[in-house]
Amino acid sequence: MSAPLAPPMNRMVIAVLSLVGLFVALYLLANKLGLTGPMICGIGECATVQASKWSMIGPVPVSALGVAGYVALLAVSLHGLQPAGLRSRAVSGLLVAFSSVALAFSVWLTYLEAFVIRAWCQWCVISAILVTIIFVAALREVRRLRTGSEA
Amino acid sequence: MTKFYWILAVVAVVGIATVGYSVGSGTMGKAATEPVEVAGLDNMETLVSMAQGITKGDPDAPITIAEFSDYQCPGCGAFVLSVKPQIELNYIQSGKAKFVYYDYPLISIHPHSFLAARAGRCADDQGKFWEFQNVIYRNQSMWVTKTSVEGDFVDYAVEAGAEKGAFEACLKSDAHADVVSANLRLAEELGIEGTPTVMISMGRGMARRLMSFDFASIQSAIETLIAESTPPAADSAAAGS
Repeated sequence: MSAPLAPPMNRMVIAVLSLVGLFVALYLLANKLGLTGPMICGIGECATVQASKWSMIGPVPVSALGVAGYVALLAVSLHGLQPAGLRSRAVSGLLVAFSSVALAFSVWLTYLEAFVIRAWCQWCVISAILVTIIFVAALREVRRLRTGSEA
Repeated sequence: MTKFYWILAVVAVVGIATVGYSVGSGTMGKAATEPVEVAGLDNMETLVSMAQGITKGDPDAPITIAEFSDYQCPGCGAFVLSVKPQIELNYIQSGKAKFVYYDYPLISIHPHSFLAARAGRCADDQGKFWEFQNVIYRNQSMWVTKTSVEGDFVDYAVEAGAEKGAFEACLKSDAHADVVSANLRLAEELGIEGTPTVMISMGRGMARRLMSFDFASIQSAIETLIAESTPPAADSAAAGS
């Protein structure tokens, strides 16, 4: 009989940050749908970014894709914290896969803000930072399972 | 592990409260339709810096054509749709003059004019001010008699090329109410009594208020201003000899 495993810190970090990111994306989506007043935007020009053609992919707001991505990361990380999923390599694989796509998407959006729209949205920047930390945590999680460490 | 779920719960509660409040206040919040109190407008310097107009053309152009306008005034519609294009063609495009638009919503007789002025500024946030102005004036007879016009303004903004969500969010708030209120106060301080009022100035010289706003009057006023600012050739020659 093996000793009970300590809950992986990396997955907890991913879960918490995904939840934070989910609310950031929900706020952006609500604003995009005209459900809020003007954006709270201490730094940058959020309205310019939100009104640009790059804030939509076809009929879908980019923020809706963010909501979907964060929900997926949150669901997988929470599943990976349940007793049945603690040793799961599939969970770690999915976290790396989802966060890689999210990171690539964030890099593309940050490029658009810097060089195409030429305006910054603080919420988009916060989301990009969250995604970067989530990606690093997902990579550390894969390494943890490979080396068998408890961290 | 329990600590982790506590952290998750705190994040969830804060997130739901924040997003919920934003949506709640945005949905229930009423669009500002009347002037607001703006501190410091008794000071002329503050008033001038707050009462920003919207400029078309070269900001360094020597001549400034300023218009004080109300979106519910039929004369303003006629000016924007038929006179302004001629001004653009003859003076703005060539860089001889710039056009500066100021809001002067006559709220006592035009109940939607303050909201319309804010709507124009919301369109300006997206770089669609002049396009929106054309659409709203073209449709003036359609909305001026209505009780509620927010939906119409959103449709006009979309027609003008603005993004609906951002425009709607701006319109449903009190955004730009301070600037429009300052514009209104500036017009009052200048003693402007009606709309449209057109004023023409050269450089930092005194602005001249025109008594009529047809293109011929504006053209004549500009030519007079140019002639007055150019030293007579004979005098120049005499001074040089």
